Amino acid sequence: MSVTSVERVALMERLSARLGVVGLIPFLLVLIVIGMTLVEPRFYSLANLFNILRNTSFLAIMACGQMLVMIVGGMDLSVGATAALASVVAAKVMAGATEAFGVDPAAAMSLGIFISIGSAAAVGLLNGLCSALLRVPSLIVTLGTLSIVSGITLMMTSGMPVYGLPQSFITGFGRALWWGVPAPAYVAVAVVGAVWLVQRKTVLGTYIYAIGGNPLAAIVSGISATFYVVLTFVLCALLAGVTGLLITAQMGSGQTNLGGDRLMLLSIAAAVIGGTSLRGGIGRAEIVGLSALFLSTLTNALNLLRINSKKELVVLGVVVVAAVAIDSLGRGKAAVE
Amino acid sequence: MSALASTESPAASGPPVPIGSAVQVSAPKLLEAIEISKRFPGVQALDGVNFDLAHGEIHVLFGENGAGKSTLINVIAGTYPPDGGRLFYEGQELRHLSPHHARLIGVSPVFQEFSLVPDLTVAQNLSLGREIARFGFLRAAQMRRRAENLLAELGFDLDPRKTVRALSRAHQQMVEIAKALVSDVRLLILDEPTASLTERETQRLFGLIERLRRENVGIIYVSHRMREIKQLADRITVLRDGKLIGSRKASEVSESELLEMMTGRKIEFLFPAIEHKPREKALQTTGLSVGGVVAEVDFHAHVGEITGIAGLVGCGKSELIRAIYGLEPLTAGSVQVNGTPCEQISPTLSLSRGVCYFPADRVAEGLALERPIRENVSLVALRLPLLSTYGWIRRGAERRLTRQIIERLQLRPPSPERTVAHLSGGNRQKVMLARGLTRDFQVFLFDEPTIGIDVGAKIEVYNFMKTLVEAGAAIVLVSSELPEVLHLSNRVYVMHHGRMVAELGGKEITEQNVLARFFQDSSKGAAG
Amino acid sequence: MDRVGGIQSAAVGLPTTAERRQVLAHSVSLVYRVLVPASPAILALGFGVYVPAVLSLENIINIIQQTAFLFVLTCAQTIVLLTRGLDLSLGPSVSMISVASALTMTAIVGSDGSNGIIAALAGTASGLLIGLLVGIFNGIAVAWLRVNPFVATLASMNICLGIGTSLSDGHPVFGIPEEFNVAGYRLHVLGIPMSIIYAMAVGIALHLLLQYTVVGRSFYVLGSNPRAAIVAGWPRRRLLALAYILSALLTAVGALILTARAASGAPNLGGGLSLQTIAAAVIGGVSLTGGRGGLSSALIGSFFITILSNGMNLAEIGGYTQMLVMGAIVIFAVALDRVARMDL
Repeated sequence: MSVTSVERVALMERLSARLGVVGLIPFLLVLIVIGMTLVEPRFYSLANLFNILRNTSFLAIMACGQMLVMIVGGMDLSVGATAALASVVAAKVMAGATEAFGVDPAAAMSLGIFISIGSAAAVGLLNGLCSALLRVPSLIVTLGTLSIVSGITLMMTSGMPVYGLPQSFITGFGRALWWGVPAPAYVAVAVVGAVWLVQRKTVLGTYIYAIGGNPLAAIVSGISATFYVVLTFVLCALLAGVTGLLITAQMGSGQTNLGGDRLMLLSIAAAVIGGTSLRGGIGRAEIVGLSALFLSTLTNALNLLRINSKKELVVLGVVVVAAVAIDSLGRGKAAVE
Repeated sequence: MSALASTESPAASGPPVPIGSAVQVSAPKLLEAIEISKRFPGVQALDGVNFDLAHGEIHVLFGENGAGKSTLINVIAGTYPPDGGRLFYEGQELRHLSPHHARLIGVSPVFQEFSLVPDLTVAQNLSLGREIARFGFLRAAQMRRRAENLLAELGFDLDPRKTVRALSRAHQQMVEIAKALVSDVRLLILDEPTASLTERETQRLFGLIERLRRENVGIIYVSHRMREIKQLADRITVLRDGKLIGSRKASEVSESELLEMMTGRKIEFLFPAIEHKPREKALQTTGLSVGGVVAEVDFHAHVGEITGIAGLVGCGKSELIRAIYGLEPLTAGSVQVNGTPCEQISPTLSLSRGVCYFPADRVAEGLALERPIRENVSLVALRLPLLSTYGWIRRGAERRLTRQIIERLQLRPPSPERTVAHLSGGNRQKVMLARGLTRDFQVFLFDEPTIGIDVGAKIEVYNFMKTLVEAGAAIVLVSSELPEVLHLSNRVYVMHHGRMVAELGGKEITEQNVLARFFQDSSKGAAG
Repeated sequence: MDRVGGIQSAAVGLPTTAERRQVLAHSVSLVYRVLVPASPAILALGFGVYVPAVLSLENIINIIQQTAFLFVLTCAQTIVLLTRGLDLSLGPSVSMISVASALTMTAIVGSDGSNGIIAALAGTASGLLIGLLVGIFNGIAVAWLRVNPFVATLASMNICLGIGTSLSDGHPVFGIPEEFNVAGYRLHVLGIPMSIIYAMAVGIALHLLLQYTVVGRSFYVLGSNPRAAIVAGWPRRRLLALAYILSALLTAVGALILTARAASGAPNLGGGLSLQTIAAAVIGGVSLTGGRGGLSSALIGSFFITILSNGMNLAEIGGYTQMLVMGAIVIFAVALDRVARMDL
């Protein structure tokens, strides 16, 4: 019996498909937790766990947005920049409203949130329209908007943080503990839950899967692909904006650079490790949430082990490649264009 | 909601005509297509074609691959607009027809490429675009029940909760057909629906078609298979090279007439006479298996003759030769080329052993469309001394070789720098076949060589095969076109469900014999 | 759906009528073919109207020198684009190589400037070596691990960022031997600056590679139809990896020229540079879906982007606005490319 080299690959494919990256996550998570408890006791402190929880919340929300865009067959590189934009806009509006016009903090916050989310949605609209109408691959579009939005944010702040946020926004929300749990966690659970609901139980969810799975089938069934693609990009940008707001509330000031590149990379990693296919049509919010937890735990562990943020990028890079490799290999020949 | 439930007569049917009288001339036809033309880069797909369909009529669209049948039904289904001509539906002119609009007015096409979302369930696919929902929230149970009812009515044994990706191609086709019947269908288009169905499934499909006819649904049935037509058609329209050759009542035309209309020549002249002189074994497989698709195949081909492999779409014949060439992984068995067992198999190794493979899908696997003819012709031979030294391309030699081959294969237009994308199907096929002349090959594996090319080009391909085999090569011909396999091969294998169920030679090679074997399960049982 | 850098992307437009599309595609394609080579000149003239300084001899020489640098990097990006891939790691890779080679050189050169030549050679070698490593990483990830090029180079981009900024804590590295600066940048041979000579050498090498070698031809085939390449017996993985390796080596060359020009290791070239090379390649006519493009595309595109950047600087358009413009230009260029390609 002669065995071809192709067969060896097929064997590897079957193995990876069975394991899948998704199946590995709980296992890896437990591994990290055990490892860290042995090596670094600070890992288990309440403050640190809350830290992980907050970071997971930020990442989960952004990753859900990224997942939606991926399901529809695209990718959004501008999420980090959009989060920063939301952050800066919110801060400027809130600070401006209270200082210049003596508006009461609650109104200032509402106004700030509203306008900031609006600006994020505008970015999403731009992304969506260029992708769907101009027929430019979303990869390139969002590479472009990344630049554009960063530019705008820098112009608004000249690179400096924006202070003057109402205290209640920071202490009452961003850094607060509601019933003993960091406030952002509630927002994250609500968001992931909402996305899960939409995916499983609504027409919108079905349409997003359909457009990603077989766009021709969707169009032929009368689904307006353009409308839903644009909507998806807007949703993604909105979620990025929400993340920006949460981070702003926690940091206490509007930030031009929310570690933008890093967050963007993490959101893609979380989505892919969470089982979202780069080919479109597949992705589940609850698993993406889980993978966000995994990645946040990982980065936290790296941080505690005093691997500085720059080297962390290196580790992240390797993790992403590994995750996608396992996913691709599991998919077999389909991965070759 | 299904078309099968109601039987309302068409609204605008004109004054009632007494039973027994002649054809209703005053009632508008279901569909009238007048002087339809359509051009694609490099080819005139349709040239002033007239076509019409009455209610409750089964109108067969007959013709070779590449004759224009697909293009016509796509125009009718709204996939793209015609460049010229007009369409009338129930007496109303159709302008700016979109695929969705077509479905809304009752035109339901079932194409060969399914419009199913692979990762959604059967129920979800059947409800796509017409979900039952309240405030945007799906009523999943209701939709599933609706799907179950529809499937039961049609007699399809499918679980609506299964993901489409998990279904076999035949089952996917059933879902596609069910999908077509989900809304009010007035005009059903079926494009070669029986390609991958068993005999029993085919008969069930025909039963369904009969029921629809009784409901006054007009049906356009596209095929190039004679026996189906005999069973179904009211009228037959023959297309060739994008032109309308003729429309006849099924009862008034004979089989040979149809064939002559389809090919434009007497059947004897379509296939060249080939002198087979079989000598030593060039290729042999023992117990070859590929996953669940090919099971324990023993097969051999000789130099100097054409060995044909026939079988339904999906029987594994393509996968067999692909595995021999190195494109599919072997899970068991072995291959010998010229008597030497192959330890490792890959395209590169096969080429060096003198085995050449022509893929079935030339666009996906055979040609680099954006590149010029010259680069495509030299594709398999570029690293040989003739065309390159130590990695340096000898452009002059490459150009000369390309010109020689263009001349020999009569490629039109004869310019080596022309982008392949701008060539017609027949010429593209020639560019792909050209690679067979760039190296020393002993074995040629042809995989569905005449898909989508016109009759003239087909004859040239057959003559090409003739020259190769009479010059002393071994040819393995895999084809779903039974006439091709019958007329060209010296020996014929038949495959069914991945197994070799028959080996026929000489006088045994008849249509009846082969067809009978198409549905025969060998004693070993089916694969996977 | 389209695939760019291996990623399917949501460019799902409404089906416009086929004939309208074809006519549009044809006319755009025609205009495109004529306009593209002329565009840098047109752009320069355009700027010249508002800011006469743009057309001064001194500035033109400046533009040519700047272009030389961008051209080398665009050639690197072009190689990868041809194979239907993408290299996002280009910018940070340049920084990392620049800093690393600078550190090597400053380690070897004496405080009095002795061992200059050895240091310069060592620096060059280390730069090329590091480039090679990046190329190998990308190549293995894309070719063997089947990671798609976008994700792979996104990862390596961050890895390079991480390493690059760690090496010197984000500070420029001074103290490079003069010999290096001179050989890399300042020297004039027959009145022509070295940077331009290097650029010409790279250009000629690229052209020969793409048009006259089997390896170069394989890039076109891989980009145009990877499956056909496999069926035709091309060792796809080896060749794909080679594309990334060659690209990375060219990137290293570019990084070394930059280091010589700045006379220091420059750690702060981020992703902006990657975007510029993609923009330059696409504007020049390289197709994002692979299989099309070459030397002239890289050249035209590099000139265009350099003139754009130069013009904006002279017109005193702020740095942040420039980012905006660059982003918009990329989107526009690709959109045009898509439309022009519809006639295929």
